[in-house]
Amino acid sequence: MNAENPPAAPAAKPKKFVSANPADRYSNAGPSLDPWEECARLEYGADRSYAWTVREQVIATPPDGRARMEEKLLKSLATSGRTAAGLAFLGQMLAMVASAKSVPALAPLLSDAKTTESARYALERIAGPEADAAFRDALGALTGTAKAGLIGSIGVRGDAAARPALTALKDAATEPAIVREAATRALARLANAQT
Amino acid sequence: MNSAFPLSRRQFLQHSALATAVVAAPLILPSGLRGQNAPSKKITVGVIGCGNIADSHFPPLLGSPESVQILAVCDVDRTRRDSAAARVNQEYGNTDCKTYGDFRELNRRTDIDVVFICTPDHWHALIAIDAMRNGKDIYCEKPLTLTIAEGRALVDTARKYNRVAQHGTQHRSMKRFHDVAEFVRNQGLGKLDRIDCFIPPNNRFCGATWKPEAVPANLDWDMWLGPAPWRPYNANGCHYNFRFISECAYGQVTNWGAHYLDIGQWALDMDDSGPVSVEGHGEFPSSGLFTNCTNVNFTVRYANGIPMHCRTRYEGGGTVRFVGERGWLDIARDKMSASDKNLLREMQAPNKKIQLALSNNHHDNFFECVRSRKRPIADVGLGHRTTTVCNLGQIGMVLGRKLQWDPVKEEFVNDDVANRLRTRAMRSPWSLA
Repeated sequence: MNAENPPAAPAAKPKKFVSANPADRYSNAGPSLDPWEECARLEYGADRSYAWTVREQVIATPPDGRARMEEKLLKSLATSGRTAAGLAFLGQMLAMVASAKSVPALAPLLSDAKTTESARYALERIAGPEADAAFRDALGALTGTAKAGLIGSIGVRGDAAARPALTALKDAATEPAIVREAATRALARLANAQT
Repeated sequence: MNSAFPLSRRQFLQHSALATAVVAAPLILPSGLRGQNAPSKKITVGVIGCGNIADSHFPPLLGSPESVQILAVCDVDRTRRDSAAARVNQEYGNTDCKTYGDFRELNRRTDIDVVFICTPDHWHALIAIDAMRNGKDIYCEKPLTLTIAEGRALVDTARKYNRVAQHGTQHRSMKRFHDVAEFVRNQGLGKLDRIDCFIPPNNRFCGATWKPEAVPANLDWDMWLGPAPWRPYNANGCHYNFRFISECAYGQVTNWGAHYLDIGQWALDMDDSGPVSVEGHGEFPSSGLFTNCTNVNFTVRYANGIPMHCRTRYEGGGTVRFVGERGWLDIARDKMSASDKNLLREMQAPNKKIQLALSNNHHDNFFECVRSRKRPIADVGLGHRTTTVCNLGQIGMVLGRKLQWDPVKEEFVNDDVANRLRTRAMRSPWSLA
């Protein structure tokens, strides 16, 4: 040992990681990934066991716990690195438990052609005026095939307040045939529901 | 005017006129049905979906050229539709059979009377509804639809447009199934204790992960998916194997359950109703391409207390067994057995008090009804009820808890999640509207 060079100070002891996951408390294998985040990063064809874990929890939760499941799914929706497959999965989960509380998070997705399908899985199943309004608002944002799908959902939901907008679309020369036909069908469905 | 369709065409015009007034959509009223191009005595056919199920329809359809003629075939797989057209043309000795990649074009032909729908399950409802809106009678392969909501919409459309609509559950036209249903209905087994349906196993081997593949040049993958959620192409998830992916079908629950649960419904006189509860515990794969359960196990129970079980059987194939106080009867397509041979003899005895309609051939029955405008032996109304039983089993297994079902309202009692699973949003531009 060289006396001119004092011994190095011992390295700082690494701070012990405390996982938020209760299942990690008794484990010595380090923290596990959070399935509620990982399910949002699902890739087509990849291992879907994280998503499966989430699905099992959503399904097994009794009615008084569904609001909590909805909150967790909405948090998953905001996960960074969310994929198209992850969003599709979350849309299908929200379709089972979502309420009007989910509408503010889903409405912007509904109006975006890249995400509208997955948002529609969930929103079509949410009863009430909040979701109806989200569908009507999205009419001005989408075009072509996506707009036709949106109109179909409005028809299935039976939103009578959409009748003026659908009537205008039915006769709009600027709209493609697929949109005009969808509006015609949706109006017929609304008429049948009324009789 | 064609004497083969005197009443139906008139009725169709009445309904169509009303529909046109309401919908203001000329696309639903083929001009050919207004009289300019009345159908000939020969019933003209379009076949939509040219895979292995269609293969079983071609021999009977091509075998009666004096009364039935296939005019067109449709498939999103060019190889399959071309092959089907070649088969038809070879049989007729001409080149008249037209091919389509989009069913809407075929459905809008005014010279076609009926369509056979032989596509994957997730397409059945939309194609059938579109065909009936365009004045076609339909023969729709089983299961009738993917969801309960689709089934109700299909039946309502058949009634609204007065269409003849046969469900492809041909067991209804096989004498042994007729006889056992009639025997049970007449208390031949004494007080019925239960019904046991066994179906083959789900899911061919597929790994825990899979890779997206290039779509074959002959396949319109977007149209193949249609209303199902988008996913990349993989050969294991397309022809035939689609049935193991719950976004397209419910596996053997709907594939074989549609046959054997149907006989239970028939024997219980439940053709216009259904069970009042379901409880299921299926085993589902937690990863991989296939999502339907590997081991089916559910029980529906009727208001009279009788349960109908449905389980996977890994050896021996599908069958339906009726168990009563006098013994049991076990019926499959290719075999029939009983706890006592006397039961089989009694089953054949004539002049039973309750007599069920008898059909000896599912295709003949359909075409007779197309001419007579009577309801066929497996009308879509009862097909919807049987498909609902399949759906109840699937939903019961997915949720893993006991569910109460109201067969009149066609909704679950006090279970919002289960009720949401009665339907699904469809991928653009498709919808039930």
